[in-house]
Amino acid sequence: MGHLEDSLDQCIKCNVCMTACPVAAVSEDFPGPKVVGPQAQRFRHADQPIPDASVDYCSGCRVCNEVCPTGVRIAEINARARAALVAAQGQPLRNRIIARAGLVGRLSSGPHAPLLNIGLGLRPVRWAMEHVIQIHRDAPLPAASRHTFRHWFHQRGQRHGLRQIVYYHGCSTQYYEPWVGQAAVAVLEHNGFEVIVPDQKCCGLPLLSNGDFVNAKRYHVYNVAQLLPYVRQGIPVVGTSTSCTLTIKEEAPELLDLASQEVADVAAHTYDIFEFLRSLADQGELRTDFRAIRRTLPYHPPCQLRAHRIGVPVLDVLGLIPGLRIVESQAACCGIAGTYGLKREKYPIAMAVGEPLFQFIRTSGSELALCDSETCRWQISHATGIRTKHPIEILAEAYGLYPS
Amino acid sequence: MQYDTIVIGAGIAGMLAAIGRAKAGERVLVIAKGHAATHWTTGCIDLLDVGAGDPLAGIAALIAAQPDHPYALTGIHAIESGLARLQEICEDGGYPLVGSPQQNLLLPTAAGALRPTCLVPVTMAAGDARQLARKGSGEPPLLVAGFRELRDFFPPMIAANLQIQGFNAEGVYLTLPPLAHAADFSTTGFARLFEQVAFRTDVGRSLRKLVVEGGYQRIALPAVLGIHQAPQIVAELQSICGALIFEIPTPPPSVAGIRIYHLLEHAFREAGGRIQLGAYVQRGEAHGNHLEAVFSEAAAREQRHRASRFILATGGIVGGGLRAIDAHHLIETALRLPLRTPASRADWFFPDFLAQPGHPIFRSGVAVDAQLRPLDAKNQVVYTNVVVVGASIAGCDHIREGAYEGVAVATGWVAGGM
Repeated sequence: MGHLEDSLDQCIKCNVCMTACPVAAVSEDFPGPKVVGPQAQRFRHADQPIPDASVDYCSGCRVCNEVCPTGVRIAEINARARAALVAAQGQPLRNRIIARAGLVGRLSSGPHAPLLNIGLGLRPVRWAMEHVIQIHRDAPLPAASRHTFRHWFHQRGQRHGLRQIVYYHGCSTQYYEPWVGQAAVAVLEHNGFEVIVPDQKCCGLPLLSNGDFVNAKRYHVYNVAQLLPYVRQGIPVVGTSTSCTLTIKEEAPELLDLASQEVADVAAHTYDIFEFLRSLADQGELRTDFRAIRRTLPYHPPCQLRAHRIGVPVLDVLGLIPGLRIVESQAACCGIAGTYGLKREKYPIAMAVGEPLFQFIRTSGSELALCDSETCRWQISHATGIRTKHPIEILAEAYGLYPS
Repeated sequence: MQYDTIVIGAGIAGMLAAIGRAKAGERVLVIAKGHAATHWTTGCIDLLDVGAGDPLAGIAALIAAQPDHPYALTGIHAIESGLARLQEICEDGGYPLVGSPQQNLLLPTAAGALRPTCLVPVTMAAGDARQLARKGSGEPPLLVAGFRELRDFFPPMIAANLQIQGFNAEGVYLTLPPLAHAADFSTTGFARLFEQVAFRTDVGRSLRKLVVEGGYQRIALPAVLGIHQAPQIVAELQSICGALIFEIPTPPPSVAGIRIYHLLEHAFREAGGRIQLGAYVQRGEAHGNHLEAVFSEAAAREQRHRASRFILATGGIVGGGLRAIDAHHLIETALRLPLRTPASRADWFFPDFLAQPGHPIFRSGVAVDAQLRPLDAKNQVVYTNVVVVGASIAGCDHIREGAYEGVAVATGWVAGGM
């Protein structure tokens, strides 16, 4: 047992996590974080039968960790328990597919993307997918991009700057939303950075959250090897996907017990992009030549960002833009939790979990919402019909770098 | 980001202080490890355990006898003002706290004991023991009702214990109305069910039937009657069943306590404040006796938080602000402030487990001056820009004295108004 499992000894069974868990609030399939976490953990032992398969209904949103008065790492205990379940019982084909975000993205993007997107928009296709691979027919699937982010980046050529910075784009920017990466590059270059985009694979989070620790480890070891040479030169790594950066910072090292200095160094130099921009602002190094944006926009700080435990840097940075008013959602979770809400049996739970957030967005009266996490953006847009952008796009717009 | 004030801890003391400072126009951040003892406690405001007597008079005597007691440092006026402020916040949130600081109420607990407390939510007011039917009075008995599905709330036991104390009470389990799907039968699960009109109408009708058959005029229910609209739900149930209804607080998680947190959180956000949960403050950074920043635990590295003033509201041994790191040492967890605590382990406890005066360890805490600034062993101010509030303060056995919320309210109000 590692320090994650040991943290269960801090549990005083106060049930505060049970009151806050957004999944247990809407679903009878999930008995709640205390029950499948610290409680069931006492019965999990290599020589014993698996006590509780309902841990698979934990979405991994980490709201339990956030509210726990005594510091139990409930979500991580659950993630490891799920991995043990997968190791013992195997993985359905569906999970093996959706957990490989990089592979799926690579196969989807390219010249054939428009055709694929049309195909995925057809009800019979989605019906077949639901029955064959158990992906819910209504679940939000992103439209693949014709051109990848890396294609755009390499075509424009390397641009020099005063300081270097590494950009970790992750799968969503690479294959589905290259404009998020373009906005990030524009903002960083505007602030005097030379942006480096090293070779990289999926961060491995979808594998971790589907319990495939073996392959997640392979990806993480690869990414650490790619990022380490820059980190060793003191060059920071930033990412626009809050879940990728969280995986590099903490989830992969902790869940996979990767304790090497290399892994720790890469983690210590990796930042959520707004966390990094906020630290620039704190040092007076962030450019503030903003155009006024006279708008009020609803913003949801995703679970994956809150799990960084760094506050809400978007509010600090976008708060510098004249005229812009950001209204922060108080909702626990949008429900999707990466790949959770795609699954046929979990889609209705995910939609019910997200309902308070959808209400907040719908009643805001805004035609645009903001959220740092890609799958959450897709979920919000799917449920509300309202366009959802990464906050970096608004920042780029405020700098006059990027069309709205 | 530089804040004017950072409050560490999201309980009553910290939130009240934070609201005060934010209302004064400051930029305020609340950082907390998680939810506070609000979620574990009754949702009533205990001032001092003087039975059914006058707590303010009791506090006046206490102040004279114990000049280091937190109440002695804040003074009576701060207690009254703090209570008034809290009442205003709850009133604004549509959840009035009733009662008087000059008269404790005795309310039944989930064990059927009578517990002295001072201010209570309007949904509990009809549980005042002076109003309950006594044996032989000829009045219809109190009906204590609950659900078998709700853990840790046993109406027959509550009624039996009230009977022993001379009250006329009966306990009954209600049949759970048909549900669309099996729910989580925790206190909060029930509170969510009571927010559904169909569910509470069904419960109201079951109660109506009992009232018609048994002639009851007063019914006790577990304090799970909704999270956000409890007074309306109680009124609705009363009008359906035709009897007075009051709530009895439950063991944790306490819905009534959660309501207080929601009201404070709402008032704080309305005043422009920000809250960061899941942030465990583990150390500070100081220049001389000026605290520059605090650091909270975060993914991959600590987060540094800067402010001009810090308010420590992390609680005592219950809340996690004080912790025994081994068999012999108690520490203050956020800033490692010096503690007033028994010198050796041998002096932590009396040999008698239920010793009347309470074990000395529970009076441990941070010694503070009249401005609630932390003091060291030589009574020198440790940090001039740090204020300590609530159960972190030494010289009070907050729970045993029945002063847990009262000290939080008084010190929180003082810190919010500085």
